Amino acid sequence: MQLSGPILGAAVLLSAVLGYLLWRSRAQLKRLESALDAKSSDLEHLQTSFSRFAPEEVVERVIASGISTHGERKEVTALFADLVGFTALSENTEPTVLVRILNGYFERMSRAITDHRGHVSTLIGDGILAFFGSLQPNPWQGNDAVHAALAMRRELVDYNRELEKEGLPKLSIGIGLHRGTGVAGLVGSRDLMQFAFVGRIVNLAARVQDLTRQYQLDILLTRAVQETLDPRFKLRELPATPVRGIAEPVVIFAAEGFES
Amino acid sequence: MRDIEWLEPLIEPEPSQALKQYARQNLGVASSTLGFFASCPWVMRGMIDLLSTKRVHIDHDLTDLVALMVSRDNSCRYCYAASRMILRLLGMSEERIRRLEQDLEMAQLDARTKLALDFAARISRSNPSPTQADKKALLESGYSEGAILELAFSAAEHTYHNRISTFPALPPQLPERMANSRFLGLLRPILAIPFRRMRKKGQAEFLSDELKAGPYAYLVLALDGLPAARTLRKILDEAWASPHLSARAKALTFAVVARGLGSSHAEHEAFSLLAAEGLGKQKVEEILAHLGSPELDPGEAAMLPYARETIWYEPAAVQRRGREVQERLTTPQFLELIGIASLANMVCRLAILLDEP
Repeated sequence: MQLSGPILGAAVLLSAVLGYLLWRSRAQLKRLESALDAKSSDLEHLQTSFSRFAPEEVVERVIASGISTHGERKEVTALFADLVGFTALSENTEPTVLVRILNGYFERMSRAITDHRGHVSTLIGDGILAFFGSLQPNPWQGNDAVHAALAMRRELVDYNRELEKEGLPKLSIGIGLHRGTGVAGLVGSRDLMQFAFVGRIVNLAARVQDLTRQYQLDILLTRAVQETLDPRFKLRELPATPVRGIAEPVVIFAAEGFES
Repeated sequence: MRDIEWLEPLIEPEPSQALKQYARQNLGVASSTLGFFASCPWVMRGMIDLLSTKRVHIDHDLTDLVALMVSRDNSCRYCYAASRMILRLLGMSEERIRRLEQDLEMAQLDARTKLALDFAARISRSNPSPTQADKKALLESGYSEGAILELAFSAAEHTYHNRISTFPALPPQLPERMANSRFLGLLRPILAIPFRRMRKKGQAEFLSDELKAGPYAYLVLALDGLPAARTLRKILDEAWASPHLSARAKALTFAVVARGLGSSHAEHEAFSLLAAEGLGKQKVEEILAHLGSPELDPGEAAMLPYARETIWYEPAAVQRRGREVQERLTTPQFLELIGIASLANMVCRLAILLDEP
């Protein structure tokens, strides 16, 4: 059987069109595969990065089903740190210099906290709220938190030396620590969401931090922290002190050091 | 994975003919990284034994996914690259491996596999640990009791591999380069033979009476019927028989990891082992409360805080910490500490399964 010219021409044209379409869809598939590769790699990056801010399970739940209202009770140690006399400093310092001072301060303090297995939850103005035992269970969280506070004290001494060399004002901090149970979960609005703890524990750590001004001391902790501490920590008991919002006066201790 | 910070190896490899021979006998191939553990060979023998342990109830397709997932979770560059290399060796194309990785990332797996992987992730992360509800969900989706135990064992096994590779910072460039080498492509048909043989399903095995005793016997007995039981018994016995660290230091390391993970059965067993070494419950409680005590010798005082660091870690941070501890120990002691801490993490994570009523 002989194929006539027009039929042969149509068959050639058809195969050319089909070939072109196949080539185009393969190219498109390749592009999609590379895009998927890139997205998959981005997701891995995101997951790793976010697991520093919230437990892996929370991160995976967000990836799988979006923001949820799942909350969980956890025993944690809260550390609240605040710069003493920051308002005066902010009013008398040039804004660019102030931001540089603050960033240097946050950098050092955050490192001291994370080096001791703490998790910086929030920066509130010049304040730092951190938790120990929030991302992973941690039976040694009290020791870790006080070691972190002592490391923050050392870091600040070093930082002040640097500031002094530049002719900048020295900083001083107050740190309050309290241990207790709080509710952990993703808290916030649709636009701003964070993994946070809510409960009395945070308020009390902040109130104890306030007392550092009254006692002119830099690190204060509650009995709930003291009871779990390594006896090698050098502590000084202070008189029970009334604290705003708490019915009974609170027994507090000043952390002086650690005998290694 | 390549952008994970990873230090230079903490130790120098040494020639190790015996280990290489053992690897060839059991795996068919011997890696040059075996030499890093030459002075404490049971650690690598343990890895080889685990890799060559047959599964009875689950397929290797699932254990491959578990290996990739746990290694990624633990940021173990070495094991991740090694797992990829084995898949390449078995004939899987780079494209197929990439699709597998995407499936893991995007959770595009079938529901039953996803359930199994979630369970394996809970074992390896232990944050939070798996519960009876997780086990029940697996049973309802058709996994047998034996399959669940093997799945848990596979996840726990990789927590061991990941740790013995990450803590001394074994060079990940070796498996990373090998996976892409033309040489591997050419020799694949030959190199894959022992791996294929290893991946054939095994048969139920039961422990003889003499294998029913020893450290963590209750856990080994819980695995009885699986080839994994014999492997775990062998590794534990070799670890305890090794002379570089005392039995007390080993049991203390297990106690720290069990306390950190909240594994009550595993902690109870460590207390019993320590009682046999003359360390009473109260003294152990004092030591565990602060990971320090005048009771400890200088070596133990350095080891226990390190053991705690091995539960959850970031590779470079734990490698730096390892360097500090290394200065206080001999090389065989340091390697044994890595092995014991890795084994404790494997055993205690597995033991959590038995903690639930």
